[in-house]
Amino acid sequence: MTTVGQRLRAVPSWQITLGIALLALGFLIAAQLASEGPRIRYTSQERSPLVETVNGLQAQQQSLKDRILTLRAQIQQAEQRGQGSAVVIRQINDGLEKARIAGGLIPLRGSGVVFQLEDSVKPTAPGGNNDDYRVSARDIRTVVEELWLAGADAISVNGERLTTSTAILDIGASVLVNSAFLAQPYQISGIGPKDLYDRVSASQGFADFLRARSATYGLQVSFFQPNPVNVPAFAGTVTLRFARPAASPSAAP
Amino acid sequence: MHRLRSQLSISAVALLLGLLVVLQLRGQQAASTLSGLSTQELTVLVANLDDHNEQLRNEVAGLEAQLSDITTAQLRGDTSVDGIRRDLARVRAWAGLDPVTGEGVTITISGPIAGPGVEDLVNELLTAGAEAVAVEGVRVVPGSVVAGPPGLLSIENTPLGDPFQIRAIGSREGLTGSLTRIGGVVAQLSATYPSAVVTVTPVDALVLPATSRTLQPAYGTPRL
Repeated sequence: MTTVGQRLRAVPSWQITLGIALLALGFLIAAQLASEGPRIRYTSQERSPLVETVNGLQAQQQSLKDRILTLRAQIQQAEQRGQGSAVVIRQINDGLEKARIAGGLIPLRGSGVVFQLEDSVKPTAPGGNNDDYRVSARDIRTVVEELWLAGADAISVNGERLTTSTAILDIGASVLVNSAFLAQPYQISGIGPKDLYDRVSASQGFADFLRARSATYGLQVSFFQPNPVNVPAFAGTVTLRFARPAASPSAAP
Repeated sequence: MHRLRSQLSISAVALLLGLLVVLQLRGQQAASTLSGLSTQELTVLVANLDDHNEQLRNEVAGLEAQLSDITTAQLRGDTSVDGIRRDLARVRAWAGLDPVTGEGVTITISGPIAGPGVEDLVNELLTAGAEAVAVEGVRVVPGSVVAGPPGLLSIENTPLGDPFQIRAIGSREGLTGSLTRIGGVVAQLSATYPSAVVTVTPVDALVLPATSRTLQPAYGTPRL
């Protein structure tokens, strides 16, 4: 008669390993299904169509942005094909390249710093306001302003390039930048001089910000200095509906 | 043989395991971000995204037309100088490298106000769709910051007097409505800076100057 122990010993070790892995797999599948549960219930609530609309619109936004970047690259190539045929074309193309760089339509790389902001993990003080413990659009704008004042060339927030038309605003506990819905952690990448971080951290405005938001409410502010810092191109509209070029001596040739 | 089979099985299970862990983590992250918004905030977000996507669609249509113009002209053996020139004028005007004209608003600010307050006002103008903004004679471009304590404001090393003006080109009604709505930025500023007076005036025609900066990066290089 064989005992249970003997039977177990007869099982090859790979089967045991596989068995343990399958057990973990089963657990994860169950966890996944369980986490689907509340979301299914959630979608049956009144605001669920709104969440789905937001998801759909965000997907649309991403594909439109990709299309814009592709078209701009194609236009730039097509415009440069005419290059060399005449001096005037070359001059206009050079001007266009400079204008695109000035506007933020070309991705840049260089020295700089990336600041990361995250919500506080401190419990809200009795009678306190939860919003004070979250990263707000104002917090992001403060860091952006300090980076500009310290001599930054170009800035992006979670991959959204800051341009002449960029607004940064609160929407609930998150923020919109260039009308893109961003969630924390917020990474503010700035290209600038090698000592960009030192310049920012030495400024009174940044010290005030850390005192008011980090020391008081526990907002998590960190930084890193990748080499290089990458800032993407702006993938939004450059079409003016109300403004038109005004005649001026400094206007384009 | 056994060994190979067992290794293959374990690899397959491990792959599935990893995939599920990532799915689980991602799912939780996405759900927590949007579920943090109220119905009203979701409605605002939908309106904002919808509006923005419409602008992006128009931009795509414009770029497609532009590309087709250039390629058609090139097929004819033409260099399409006019097309490229139009593109240049458009990008320069948008980027702040050329002066622009159009309808908009003039905002007059008098009394003590700090830099961040003025920045909030400029940010609200851009949120409301302003296409070009100038603080006194300085066109607002990336890098322009109104900074300083009340009475000592400056932008790009230009001191601001009291009163000073912000001018913005965009829809007169849209900009005025957005700034002066109940609980809007003007109301918020009067709560934070009770002695400051902010007046918004719709204007038929404004001319905003070009920036005096070249806006060419000193440290960044184009990444292709």
